[in-house]
Amino acid sequence: MVSFCEILERATRGPIMSSRDFDMKVLIPKARELVEKYKIRYDPETPCPSDDDLADRIYQAALDLYADTGTYVIDTERVIQFSRREIEEAVYEAPREAYFGEGPDRCVFRGRKPDDSEIPHCHVGSGTDTTEGVALKMVEAYGRISKAKTVSIPSVTAFGHLKSAAGSPVETLAGISMMRIGREGLRRAGRPGMGIINHMSSCAQGISTIAASNPEFGARPSDGWLVAPQAELKIDYSSLNQVAYLSSWGANIGQEAGPIMGGYAGGPEGTAVVTTAYCFHGILVARATYHLTYPVHITHVASTTPEMLYVVSTSGQAVSRNVGVPYYALGYAAAGSATKQYFYEAAAYLLAIQSSGMGIEDVHPNKAVVTNGALPIDSEFTCSLGHGMAGITRKEANQIIKRLMESYFDGIKSPPMGRTLNECYDIRTMRPDEELRRTYDEAVRELGKLGIRFK
Amino acid sequence: MSTDETLKELGEAIVHGDKERSSRLVEKALGKVDPLAVIQRGMMPAMEKVGDRFSSGEIFLPEMLMATEAWNEAMRLLKPKLLEAGESVAKIGTVVIGTVQSDVHEIGKNIVVTLLNTAGFEVHDLGVDIPASKFIGKAEEVNADIIAASAIMTTTMTYQRDILDHLIASGLRDKYIVLVGGGVVNQKWADEIGADGYGETAVEGVRLAKELLTRKRGG
Repeated sequence: MVSFCEILERATRGPIMSSRDFDMKVLIPKARELVEKYKIRYDPETPCPSDDDLADRIYQAALDLYADTGTYVIDTERVIQFSRREIEEAVYEAPREAYFGEGPDRCVFRGRKPDDSEIPHCHVGSGTDTTEGVALKMVEAYGRISKAKTVSIPSVTAFGHLKSAAGSPVETLAGISMMRIGREGLRRAGRPGMGIINHMSSCAQGISTIAASNPEFGARPSDGWLVAPQAELKIDYSSLNQVAYLSSWGANIGQEAGPIMGGYAGGPEGTAVVTTAYCFHGILVARATYHLTYPVHITHVASTTPEMLYVVSTSGQAVSRNVGVPYYALGYAAAGSATKQYFYEAAAYLLAIQSSGMGIEDVHPNKAVVTNGALPIDSEFTCSLGHGMAGITRKEANQIIKRLMESYFDGIKSPPMGRTLNECYDIRTMRPDEELRRTYDEAVRELGKLGIRFK
Repeated sequence: MSTDETLKELGEAIVHGDKERSSRLVEKALGKVDPLAVIQRGMMPAMEKVGDRFSSGEIFLPEMLMATEAWNEAMRLLKPKLLEAGESVAKIGTVVIGTVQSDVHEIGKNIVVTLLNTAGFEVHDLGVDIPASKFIGKAEEVNADIIAASAIMTTTMTYQRDILDHLIASGLRDKYIVLVGGGVVNQKWADEIGADGYGETAVEGVRLAKELLTRKRGG
């Protein structure tokens, strides 16, 4: 595989191009051309297709695309380019499994296949903004979910009374504080070795994550450290600095990407291609051992509409069939927590990604914009569905998803706000109140009638 | 081809983002009508159509950007003619827009820029990673009506508050309408920092800009 030093060399020696030209003259026309060339079509009636040939055509289109675009480096205004052969070689050598955590809590996250009978990797938690006062309790509650293999620690955007801001010293302090809270929460849950794999969602800048990764604060290379690009297929020196540091430390690096459906990639077809191409960027530029995707809709953000399910499902299939790296997805529900609509939306998304060969993560309520809007019960739901539905095929998933969408599709535009952690949990015991328990039980019962099993 | 047909074809060329065809048709139309009519009767309805199609999800950002490029190319040909004729396109208002400090996300902001242009605003796009003082400096320089700030991360939205703080500190708060937007921003945050409005989507942002400007002018 092309070495990281060679990547850095290309970042400073590659072809010079303006960011706008990269978008307008390279990415946009190429993505459009490839959608036509490979006859990639979106059918709203099939949000979770079971067409292997479609998945493979998307993969080939992504390969062609990345061989043309490479990755744009914002700071140097140059393009890191790769030949098709270099990309294929990287795919061949990419790690098919990643190990997280230590001791009895250590786990392996393997690549799956579509319609796989294996239980998917269950990752819980979210980077939703959370107040400092409840963050520790949240992590402890996540750690207590025995089916959860790895955890995301919440995003805390304050340090005491100081509001965090990207690039500011407060962000560094907030990041360090969250690392400490994350490890302490897992210790209290009796799972001190559990892998934290969201790197630090409290930290936007590379310098803050690097500061928070000091083992003194509880960080380990066996945690997972996400490195983010910019939309689409761009990276900056802050992220490349993270890669330089994390790869020297021997840490698990996660390639994360949130391609924008309706953005430069175009519609669902083009976005599926670009989402798949991020995998190549991840292996080569981010030096990733695992991959996370979260395509978002340009207007309504929610990822539970048919076109968004198509994007995540088909790109998941393209990667799982042709690459097989550890790959998971997170979705954004329109509805807030503690509502039936949330559980319906979450079920649709989880079934789409699980049957497509991906690992699963909690679907974030309220598009992740409400402080304390994520609940531990969301994680229980994720894991319980993931285990109960092991072996579900794409065809079965598609049928159930269509019925689920009938009940929530109209609610996406004006979704119920739901309730926050403070409103529906006893913070002292971290137990949900009666009303939430009732809503959850009812949702599970109703979903059971549609063929969804929980374990 | 009649004048109406030429203008209709020009509109179609813009909707399809066909730069060369729209340039040819501008030249052709100028032989028949004045430059202002070319814009008002041929180009503006076309861009409105583009905006509507984008809002309804019929087209996506690439199609909208290509239409904008065709519009810009046509305007490049029309501007000298407008000057010669002593005419100008009436503008609704002036907006200074950018993505806040430490945030380099631009897609959402670019969509708002395009829709504002389409709606008839004069737009000064500062780009990304813009400190509060630059927003205000530019607004003062161009005598703007609106300052619009985008932030996509929880750790950068705080820089939207900075803009309000700077405006208050320099005694300029009442001079400008301040709009905020971005993936993590919501109405609660806009209220908390004292912004005048929050647009959940680009379309909503532009609608709000028009409404607040009309209200400020006593409309």
